[in-house]
Amino acid sequence: MSLERKDEHDHDGWMESRDLTAIEEIYLTVLLWLDRRLRIVDYLEILENMYYKVNFQMPKSHTEQYNLDNKFWYWYPLYALGSFSTIAYVVAAISGALLGFYYAPGAGASNGTPALAYNSITFIMTELNFGFFLRSLHRWSAQVMVAAVFLHMLRVYFTGAYKEPRELNWIIGIVLISLTMVFGYTGYLLPWDQLAFWAGQIGVEMSLSIPLIGEWVAQLLFGGFTLSQSTVQRMYILHVFVLPFVTTGIIAVHIGIVWMQGIAEPH
Amino acid sequence: MSDNDNSEEVRTDGTGIVPPDDETPTWSERKTRKQGLARLTYEYFERSRREDQDLRQQSSYVERDVLAFPTWPHEMIRNLALTSFFVGMIIFLSAALPPHIGPPADSSSTPAIILPDWYLYWSFGLLKLGPLNPDISLLGGQKLMADRTYGVLANLVVVGFVAIVPFLNKGSARRPVEQPFWSAVGVSGVVFAFTVAALSVKNLIPMDSHLIFDLTFLLPVLAAFLSYAVLRTMREGYMFNLNRRYYRLRPPK
Repeated sequence: MSLERKDEHDHDGWMESRDLTAIEEIYLTVLLWLDRRLRIVDYLEILENMYYKVNFQMPKSHTEQYNLDNKFWYWYPLYALGSFSTIAYVVAAISGALLGFYYAPGAGASNGTPALAYNSITFIMTELNFGFFLRSLHRWSAQVMVAAVFLHMLRVYFTGAYKEPRELNWIIGIVLISLTMVFGYTGYLLPWDQLAFWAGQIGVEMSLSIPLIGEWVAQLLFGGFTLSQSTVQRMYILHVFVLPFVTTGIIAVHIGIVWMQGIAEPH
Repeated sequence: MSDNDNSEEVRTDGTGIVPPDDETPTWSERKTRKQGLARLTYEYFERSRREDQDLRQQSSYVERDVLAFPTWPHEMIRNLALTSFFVGMIIFLSAALPPHIGPPADSSSTPAIILPDWYLYWSFGLLKLGPLNPDISLLGGQKLMADRTYGVLANLVVVGFVAIVPFLNKGSARRPVEQPFWSAVGVSGVVFAFTVAALSVKNLIPMDSHLIFDLTFLLPVLAAFLSYAVLRTMREGYMFNLNRRYYRLRPPK
């Protein structure tokens, strides 16, 4: 590196050689002055690129090419199920983050007296302004998400969209549907009412009956072989911390692969 | 470079490439200089690019016009329109039907009905397949594993089977009419999900529990046979239409 100035393009000589009007000359002088300092040309190039990308002429889709739209349009809602479950997931995430301000995990003695978790749910449902709507929105969007994910899987199965280049995404989808159900299960336990308690009981027994690693799984997920305070706490952390990160990441990969490969249509 | 007197002039259209000095390696030099795995990757990509090009130049290779339906903008715009309607539906439902809270948890009183959420009914039903757990005569009529373990294993088997479907069903068939067998498998799977869910709540259904257990396995098979028969029948007409359309578009030489 040296402090000497690099050779500059002889813009002034070029302007001399052209026969320019006064307006053109002033315009070019200002433009050159600004461009030397701000590299406007680069930004103009970016704009130009964007213009061509926005107005990009898409190739004809399969349905357009063979004029199948008249036979095909009523299947479109089934093709939107993947987007639909993603949107429902976003709605559940937003309403869940708001619910998190008011919910506290606490099991108490589980002897029929309302514990901390149950009391906070009661507070949300009866006293908090729009609390019932918030919880309702969270629950309904979760239900709708699970339903949409199941129907999405059926659509993909019956249109053969899992075939040749898309096997990996099918397996990622299996992982995602399982994670969605685990999400639902952990959320189902959080109110700590009778249904939650006995569903948790089934969960503990299921994990205990896994060969070899059953007790370890029960310890890890439920914090012991019987339901207690640590069960609710672990379900809470799974539901609001672990699963959101994992699931969001895998959803991003899933959608990214769909984006790269395009939507498989029946042929 | 038609006019030599102008070649001294600098291009100002923004496409001029700044000449690198002697030590600056070009991009291709940088790529070829690499060692080890990076070098291998580079060579592989070059080879595969060459291979693609050769394939395209061969006259027998027909490049398809549309490989898939583009996600942007076609699919995204359509989906946004449809999903915004469904989000409205979610908001309406949640305003109209707030969820119920049961009595607080009580470990000393078991409720008559223990159920997970509806989407786990199938899994819950698979836990109750104990009667299918074989008694092996070599073990003196004892069961190889506990009924509970058997149920958890059944879950794993079902999920595992669904996961390997792409490796069992290959080929270019897409529509149900083009693959009656696998569509029948799918239909029986859906019906089995419902029947096994019914099995999980058999104490709520006013029916003989043995009958429910038998129907759990009979109905999916029946549905599979029916859908297979229907799809095979439809396939005749479908293939006729498909061939006619194909030969209209590409008349035989």
